[in-house]
Amino acid sequence: MDRVCFEVLEGEFVAIVGPSGCGKSTVLNMIGGLVTPSAGAVLVDGTPVKDAAPPRVGYVFQKDTVFPWRTVARNIALGLEYRGVGGAERTRRVREAVTLAGLEGFEDAFPATLSGGMRQRVALMRTLVVDPEILLMDEPFGALDTHTKLTLHAELLSLWEARRQTVIFVTHDLSEAITLADRIVVMTRRPGRVKMVHEVKLTRPRDVIALRESDEYAREYGRIWHVLGEEFAASGARS
Amino acid sequence: MTERTRVTLWRVAILVALLGAWEWLTGIKAISRTPGLYWIDPFFISRPSAIARRFVYLMSGEVRLSLWQMALSTVESTLWGFAVGVSTGFVAGLVLGRHDRLARVFEPYIVAFNSLPRIALVPLVTMIFGFGLLAKVVLAWTIVFFIVFFNTFQGARAVDADLVHSARFLGAGERQILWTVIVPSALAWTFAALTPSISFALIGVVVGELLGGESGGGLGYLITQSLGTLNAADMMVALVSLGLIGIVMALGIKQIERRLLRWRPEYRTERA
Repeated sequence: MDRVCFEVLEGEFVAIVGPSGCGKSTVLNMIGGLVTPSAGAVLVDGTPVKDAAPPRVGYVFQKDTVFPWRTVARNIALGLEYRGVGGAERTRRVREAVTLAGLEGFEDAFPATLSGGMRQRVALMRTLVVDPEILLMDEPFGALDTHTKLTLHAELLSLWEARRQTVIFVTHDLSEAITLADRIVVMTRRPGRVKMVHEVKLTRPRDVIALRESDEYAREYGRIWHVLGEEFAASGARS
Repeated sequence: MTERTRVTLWRVAILVALLGAWEWLTGIKAISRTPGLYWIDPFFISRPSAIARRFVYLMSGEVRLSLWQMALSTVESTLWGFAVGVSTGFVAGLVLGRHDRLARVFEPYIVAFNSLPRIALVPLVTMIFGFGLLAKVVLAWTIVFFIVFFNTFQGARAVDADLVHSARFLGAGERQILWTVIVPSALAWTFAALTPSISFALIGVVVGELLGGESGGGLGYLITQSLGTLNAADMMVALVSLGLIGIVMALGIKQIERRLLRWRPEYRTERA
């Protein structure tokens, strides 16, 4: 990775797209403080990210990180447990989250009995229940089928429109990025750099299904693909 | 007839055939009416009828040390050895599994001690701890500890780093990560070691009893005593009892394991 520089505004939904291996996940890990950059810095409100990390930043991983030995409700309760939120308050917030995610009836189910989409819902609610200001998402829906993905896009958008957290969403799926984001950071192939930052001019609230058939969507897609396609082609040709 | 009953029927049939053949073959004289000359001599392997009679007799109050008391002594020592072995093995596995340098320092000692045939320790353990319960528990511990230790050690190392990261992002401190991520992950491995552990605990205890004499008690003592009196029937009583105890304890642990690991998909499908 080389001289990656971009800014994310408060309450903004930013997607990072690029060919695989370009370092987009690494960028996210730097923002989350999991990886220390060899040079440069990640600042949140002007302070280094390390100091800002856990209480303010939530992270949804691509891999399934739901704890298999905890039920749905107890997974969602994790963050509250860690923060010492107990009793009725915890029960109430967990129940709210379960309802928001449409997981009623599965509170006492173990993750092994759930589909991939439901598990990722649990992971998302587990992160959101502690109300992070900044939400980092690393291809959270990468392993899901198209239908489940679209459903979760709609759910994520409605949750986000209610709370307006700052979201940084890494994906290699351009349509996903356009559907969700206000701005898209396009990265080049290795060594990854910021190729361009594109503003998505689609109005909100967005209907994830209808959106795909609109002319604006097609125009946005065409414009970014024109740039991103070069990178995909070049990285594909090399590997 | 369902597959299940068919299998059960076959099992019963084989048991009956075996016991019948045993009873019959040990009853045929080599030369008719000459005492002491058999095709298969019941002196060495006894007969089911004789074993059953001794079983009833040994259970009764007519003997000084009843079969019940001996079985109880064996079970008690086994459970103690199991409990102490599992808990110490778990803690040691967890600590060394999470501290690389400590694990490297202790590795040769652990490997060396574990390579030692445990039976060679019996005289030394007896010398130190005497002939009673303690010696038997210690012997069971020397085996169970290592089984649990190695499993937990692997489990503690195999903790998914992403689970640790996600816990940290949810606001967990180091202590909370230990209790909510590392201990549960490692426990899943520890539980897998419980069933073999109870069997090996029983082995350790019986080995101790073989040398332990009357004060040590237990079914192992019944075996050595029967050897002294050349009583095959009593020996068989002890062996059958040990077999039954072994099966019951292994099944019990299996149930506990299933309950504790009910979140695992393989246990879920078994129950369904």
